[in-house]
Amino acid sequence: MTAPAASEIAIGDSVTPLSRTVTQEQINAYADASGDHNPIHVDPEFARAVGLPGTIAHGMLEMGILADAIASWAGGNANLLSLSCRFSKPLLPGDTIICTGTVVSVDDAGVATLEVGASSDRGDRVLTNGRATVRLSR
Amino acid sequence: MPDQSHVGRRYLAPGQRIAPESARATAQAIAGADPIGEADAVPPTFAAVYCLGPTLAQLLSDPEVGIDLAGLIHGEQSFEWPAPVHPGDVVDATAEITSIDTRRGMTFVRLAMEATRPADQAVVCRATSLMIVRAPA
Repeated sequence: MTAPAASEIAIGDSVTPLSRTVTQEQINAYADASGDHNPIHVDPEFARAVGLPGTIAHGMLEMGILADAIASWAGGNANLLSLSCRFSKPLLPGDTIICTGTVVSVDDAGVATLEVGASSDRGDRVLTNGRATVRLSR
Repeated sequence: MPDQSHVGRRYLAPGQRIAPESARATAQAIAGADPIGEADAVPPTFAAVYCLGPTLAQLLSDPEVGIDLAGLIHGEQSFEWPAPVHPGDVVDATAEITSIDTRRGMTFVRLAMEATRPADQAVVCRATSLMIVRAPA
């Protein structure tokens, strides 16, 4: 895979939005794979007892999907240099997360900075204040 | 509950192996029903497993800080990847509590983390986390 060429990227360009419906099975699989078995992600009764509507997805699972969206645009994981975001609202099992990104600057070294984020199909802004940097090709 | 006296505490998690099967399982869990983009690569946010996870686990089990897992919220996360990691790599992870603030009944714990690969001295990840601890109900 190849990164987009710096000469072809302009401020305002957008990442192809990535939509992915997150199921409880997927959350369970992420808990097993990552070793994060915090019961708020996998135990509905525990989650409700601490004031949540039910289980919620791991923030790191959502951030992983956001990374997929940007890496796909960037021509591979290795071109994603940094990623940051705030976990603003929980994503619930059955929700579809929609990840987006827009180029806000390109520097002389061929590194693009993007504003990135994610919302749910229920209209919640789940990942906010997101930033990513991507190495472009020459 | 965490307080100012805990700022500067460090947690060391040396010898974290990037297990290929674990990286792949994480990539598949992130992909869900979609195909994995790069089957043999380490997903970038696998840093949660080799850097954040093992150091955060030590913080959460530090009896002198006393964080209640039931009230814990992951508020913010940043990662930088100065060099790529590969399946099979072994890295040393460290974390430090950089600030603790309490307001409106919530405690905001900021951490800075780093993972280095001893084999070539490369820093493979720098990260910061904001963990929010709610007071017990």
